[in-house]
Amino acid sequence: MRVVRYIGKRMLFIGPQLFGIILVSFFLVKLIPGDPAVMMLGPLATEATLTELRNEMGLNLSLVEQFYIYIKNLVLHGDLGRSWQTTRPVTEDLFLRMPATLELITLGLILGLLIGVPLGVGAAYLKRGILAKFSDYYGLLAGALPDFWLALVLIFFFYTILGWVPPPLGRLDFFTIAPPTVTGALLIDSLLDGNWAALGSAAGHLILPVVTLGLISGGPILKMTQSTMDRMLESDYSRYEEMCGLPKSIIIRHALRNSLPSVVTIVSVLYGFLIGGAVLVEIVFSWGGAGQYAVQGVLNADINPVLGFVFFAAVLSLIIYLIVDLIYFAIDPRVRG
Amino acid sequence: MAENSAAGTILNIEGLNVSYPVYETDPVRALRGIDLKVREGEIIGLVGESGSGKTTLARSIMQLISRPGRVDSGRIEYDGRDLATLGEEELRALRGNDIAMVIPNPRTELNPLVTVGMQIANVARYHLSLPRKEAKKMAMAMLEAVQIPDPTRRFKAYPHELSGGMAQRVVMAIALICSPRFIISDDATSGLDVTVQTQVLELLQDLVQQQGASMLFITRDIGITAHYCHQVAIIYAGEIVELASTQNFFDNPQHPYSVMLLSAFSHNPKLRGLWTKVVDAALEGAAESGCYFAARCVRASDKCRAEHPDMREMTDAHSVRCHHPVER
Repeated sequence: MRVVRYIGKRMLFIGPQLFGIILVSFFLVKLIPGDPAVMMLGPLATEATLTELRNEMGLNLSLVEQFYIYIKNLVLHGDLGRSWQTTRPVTEDLFLRMPATLELITLGLILGLLIGVPLGVGAAYLKRGILAKFSDYYGLLAGALPDFWLALVLIFFFYTILGWVPPPLGRLDFFTIAPPTVTGALLIDSLLDGNWAALGSAAGHLILPVVTLGLISGGPILKMTQSTMDRMLESDYSRYEEMCGLPKSIIIRHALRNSLPSVVTIVSVLYGFLIGGAVLVEIVFSWGGAGQYAVQGVLNADINPVLGFVFFAAVLSLIIYLIVDLIYFAIDPRVRG
Repeated sequence: MAENSAAGTILNIEGLNVSYPVYETDPVRALRGIDLKVREGEIIGLVGESGSGKTTLARSIMQLISRPGRVDSGRIEYDGRDLATLGEEELRALRGNDIAMVIPNPRTELNPLVTVGMQIANVARYHLSLPRKEAKKMAMAMLEAVQIPDPTRRFKAYPHELSGGMAQRVVMAIALICSPRFIISDDATSGLDVTVQTQVLELLQDLVQQQGASMLFITRDIGITAHYCHQVAIIYAGEIVELASTQNFFDNPQHPYSVMLLSAFSHNPKLRGLWTKVVDAALEGAAESGCYFAARCVRASDKCRAEHPDMREMTDAHSVRCHHPVER
């Protein structure tokens, strides 16, 4: 009951929150110098055609008027405008690209969890062991290495030298027929379609970028798990369980359960960050994801994709935080009240 | 060792010294030469102020001294076995099963994410190798035994949903479920209202005696020991200063510190006035060579400051560590 009321309350705030985000990002993006009309028509365009285009795009109107039109289109038609680079509606573009990014970072974070949590638990439990040393160095390296550099190294070894993985050019081989789009995540779509060739190809292309993101995000997950587990294993109830003579495995399992909220928090922060933050990895692998789309927009004074991306990322972040809260509810009876 | 068991001694502590290293200074000596015997079926009260080493003693018996503390010398024998020689697995099998602890702050020491029923059941499950269902049944019976109101509902409750008194009962259920032979109650009721405290203590005493177990009853409240203990031991600065049967102790407390402890409950302002003289630095200032209590003692002489008193048996079942014991 409490959960339902809580979700309802959160839903009420989603609208105002999104409006605030759009308001701020709209005016900030407009501050970026660069005239779309010049970018679109090239350096040889005459002043008359430029003015005509500006009028057509509404650039002659005041910022407030432009903002009003933008919001009106969004609320009434779900229209985020067009990208002049792709000449398609931004919503369509993003519905195509966002799943690519989400598939990538979701799998990357799952791998990060698989690396970070066991290492963190092990390092917290065996404080002086080799594992703890290894975790220390790993945490340091994962924090220090740039993701795109790691991606390039991985490509060099596993594609150029060993040839174990497909070339880092997009999400499928050129000759593979893509499955019909249902979710936009190629693994799921090809499974639904029963298209095994596409499934294999998509999985192959996912390996290196996912490993890159997994190795990098494993670092903070490891650190968070380790420090929380450290605290939990020293906590009163862990000592009490020890006093009651419970097996180590149970004590560790209980401590891990008490550490989960922190791990969930760091994963949600990483997720929100990676929606845009995975862009360098996307570029290295020509992934065609949402981050890449937004950066192209910024570079070419193509404002609508940028704003659209911010809007999508904001919605996703709000959804993620809602899910996180639901997970807290599930884990901790004290939150349930 | 065999003769100890024959004489019915379940726990025998001899010359136990425990210290906590402190960075760049002398280690803090938490326990200094503790000698204590607990017979089977006996409840022995251990009374002392904060920092006197009560909890360290309890944790030493469990072989779980908080880091970086360590045993410098002495031995603890449980049922004829030197605990220091046991391996980690043997100790684990002993803890919670043979030697159980009732803790003082159950609401922070119970796992917040596990229902209290399962926390009780877990202890039975892993010590008695019971299947989950059996263990749960036993936990339920135990909740009834500690007289928790509405046990079926409380079984599924989480620690934060319990009152202090109920949480204390849960901790007792955990301690008693494996029918341990030795129970340590570490200031277990200090957080409760006086009325609830009495109920819980009566219950604890009943259950301990039903099971024929022995108990080391650690408390700061000397009055409680009069009702529940066979023997009373007074600990000061890591040292037992007086040990007597409850009858003898309350008839004729002999150590000046014991008298001061008793006088703290007195209505006589002159007696209570003794406590205003307490020197804060007394503990640290005490010369290693003299009596540790000399700086706070009203009867201290030059001898007390120069020479450390030994434990002397004054009468039958009454020993005291003092050069000038109080006489009636």
